[in-house]
Amino acid sequence: MPNNMNLHRNIFFKDCGKVPAMPFSALDSKHPVDLWSWMDGQRKAGNDLLAISHNANLSDGRMFPTEVDTNGRPIDAAYAASRVRNEPLIEIKQLKGTSETHPLLSPNDEFANFEILSVLLGNPPGRIAHVVGSYARQALKDGIALEDSKGFNPYRFGFGAASDSHNTAVPYRQDNFFGGHSFTDGTIEARMSGTLVGGMFDARLEGTSGLTGVWAEENTRASLFEAMKRKETFAVTGPHIQVRFFGGWEYGPDLVKQKDWVRTGYAKGVPMGGDLPPAKAKAPTFMVWAVKDPTSGNLDRIQVVKGWTMSGQGFEKIYDVVWAGDRKPDKWTGVVPPIGSTVDVENATYTNTIGAVELKTVWTDPEFDPSLHAFYYARVLEIPTPRWTTLQAKQLGIAPPDVVAPTVQERAWSSPIWHTPSAEARKAAPRSTTVAELTQKGAVALNDAQLKALIVEKSIWLQNTVTGDKYMIIYGALGKGPDAKPLTPSDPGYVTQRFPVNQGQFQIRYVGKKVAMQSLTGDTVEASYLGTSRTYNIVDGKIVTELVGTPIEISVYKLADKYFGARSNEFGYANFEIVPAVAQLSPLGAAPR
Amino acid sequence: MSIAIGRWLREPLLQFLLTGLLLFVGYHWANHGSGQPDSDGRIELTADDLRQIRFAWLAQGREALSPEQMRRLVDARVREEILYREALALGLDKDDTIVRRRMAQKMEFLFEDVAALRDPTADELRAWFEKNAERFTLPARATFRHLYFSPDRRGERARDDAARALAKLAGEPADGPAAATLADPFMFQDYYGDRSFDEVARSLGPGFARALFELAPGAWSGPIESGYGWHLVWVDSITPARVQAFEDVEADVRREWIEGQRAEIREGAFEAMRARYEVVLPKDLDAADLANLRATEVERPEGPR
Repeated sequence: MPNNMNLHRNIFFKDCGKVPAMPFSALDSKHPVDLWSWMDGQRKAGNDLLAISHNANLSDGRMFPTEVDTNGRPIDAAYAASRVRNEPLIEIKQLKGTSETHPLLSPNDEFANFEILSVLLGNPPGRIAHVVGSYARQALKDGIALEDSKGFNPYRFGFGAASDSHNTAVPYRQDNFFGGHSFTDGTIEARMSGTLVGGMFDARLEGTSGLTGVWAEENTRASLFEAMKRKETFAVTGPHIQVRFFGGWEYGPDLVKQKDWVRTGYAKGVPMGGDLPPAKAKAPTFMVWAVKDPTSGNLDRIQVVKGWTMSGQGFEKIYDVVWAGDRKPDKWTGVVPPIGSTVDVENATYTNTIGAVELKTVWTDPEFDPSLHAFYYARVLEIPTPRWTTLQAKQLGIAPPDVVAPTVQERAWSSPIWHTPSAEARKAAPRSTTVAELTQKGAVALNDAQLKALIVEKSIWLQNTVTGDKYMIIYGALGKGPDAKPLTPSDPGYVTQRFPVNQGQFQIRYVGKKVAMQSLTGDTVEASYLGTSRTYNIVDGKIVTELVGTPIEISVYKLADKYFGARSNEFGYANFEIVPAVAQLSPLGAAPR
Repeated sequence: MSIAIGRWLREPLLQFLLTGLLLFVGYHWANHGSGQPDSDGRIELTADDLRQIRFAWLAQGREALSPEQMRRLVDARVREEILYREALALGLDKDDTIVRRRMAQKMEFLFEDVAALRDPTADELRAWFEKNAERFTLPARATFRHLYFSPDRRGERARDDAARALAKLAGEPADGPAAATLADPFMFQDYYGDRSFDEVARSLGPGFARALFELAPGAWSGPIESGYGWHLVWVDSITPARVQAFEDVEADVRREWIEGQRAEIREGAFEAMRARYEVVLPKDLDAADLANLRATEVERPEGPR
């Protein structure tokens, strides 16, 4: 745990008879790469083993780096190979939060706001935990973007979940939640008093422990190990929801109704954790099936989460593929409305009068592009049920806590299935320009003064040349330092003159929900609507912005009379161009977006 | 006379004291001359002590110690020894919760060691098994098939549909043609062979398991509710719980006997010690007013991992 960044891994050995005399501990090294080297050595000595990364959400952004590792060495093909060889699974849910995604990373995912816990272990004063680099979905997107742009992918992992209980017993049910940190949260009074566990997080924010499901040939250690290695696993938030997910090119729409659909699933495609075989149709089809826990809530829906990459940018979209009841998906967005709730918060009860026992379907990706890297995973949601805090508030006769939701939608996640374009298909991929290509053509990077002249106190229209989307960014005045002349309140700079030198605010405008925003832009739809702004600086020839403390820098290149922007998280591509102002955002009669 | 001595030798307290003495003498003898507390202000590390330091280092899977590392470890050891002696001289071991707990724990370990001294005779073991046979009971098991009525397909009618189907199935055999057509496909098995209560509860929910083991074999019954919906059930057989034969569980019996023996000796030895003490307490244990003492939670310096 270097500098309070949780980089712990759980190590699983294939054969109990061959475990080493001593574990590899933080005394040996604090760097994951050293752990993987040690694991390689063990494997060479005939002792097969695998690692599962633990609590990525508490890693301060260091669990899934894209630039350098904890030693400061670049993330490269060797790093990727070592990681993939040793770490087939990540822990997506446990007592201290979820590591699937975060609302600021997945602003269009209405179910992303689930059991979020963003802190640093040990609560170092004055440090704000980083969100970027701490979540699995972003890592999966970055992984395929790296593979597409640089030829290696360190983030080909499946999902598991675990307890992180420190009591030797696992509190995985809302109706039997007994805490996970001995005396600090071991009584209902300690938990519901909002005891700060280890002085760093409110005990009421603890969630139930997760569990890992494994699809294996038989219930033996060797068979389970092999299944974990090939990522044929799924994660649940506690209830024993079962989920299967297959991908292929030849699954008929009615296949899932047949008795032996699982056999066909294996015969004609790949199970979760696998790679789609070479294309045999226009689009891949996925078979997905889930059954509820017989002692928990019914199922609301199954979604397929898709991620893909174009020119260094990562994108995601969530499809509702099968759901309970006769709800109609929205005609235009395809989104299935919420299932409603039977939860009586005051009495902390619910009924299974809504939802389904079993959900299954065959789904075809309606927006498949064979030239692009992509991944798909299934997410199964239960109907809303009372959270443990609501149950225990009822027990104490107090109000449910105001720091967490009164209900949860328990869930399961299948491991992903990847699509890798063939060399032939990849040639057809739409591609924008790279910084290297621009420089070769004679483009020049702007310096600070040129950047200021170009954008400061201007409203700039930009086009994302990857998606074609256009929107506006207002770059407000920069702080000019102490010797700016005193201004009167009616002067626009009356407020901004008190900013630090070279720091201003920017605001993004005119982004709607249908705009496919690329990775790490935050909630631009909300920002457009609410008029919120964020800080920017002009430093060393870059426009520096940030997302929860992670800098994102934009360099601007001038080629003839055109200006191109390159974001630091897009792997060498220059995907933005300054364009003339747009008069109508959604002209009638134009191709629908 | 020999019977009296034999009985006497089986006394837990005597066994305990003898073992304690043995350990004490052995320990003292083994540690003579090593860097243990000594009154003359002299600290001597023997070649064996150094060997132990090296060994502890290597046992953690590390490279061999360099001379510099060795020197530092020896310094640390000497430092610890000096501080330990000075702390003893100042009486810092007195009234320290951690030290007290550790010493008490060492006594518990001594009890445990004593218990492991003796193996039971064959007769003893069998006699003990006869007395404790119910501990080696195998749970009841049920073999059954079922028809599933899915709330996903039938909604609120699922139970009534099941009841109507039951009427139609009256007198039908388990695998009669009518059975297959009346119900819905089930996600898991239609037939469960030889399942315990816990296994059924895990597959179909505890409510279903409770109802199942009350059913009479050889006819369709129900409707019974599971965690998935409604079912009609045909029980082929229910094997009642039964005690296993001694021969089949001898290893388990031996383990339990030793565990029992351990507990008995531990408690016996403790009771014998306890008898030498008079414990004085306030009359009313609940009288102390703790209301104002209720501790606020203390922040721990190191958080959970």
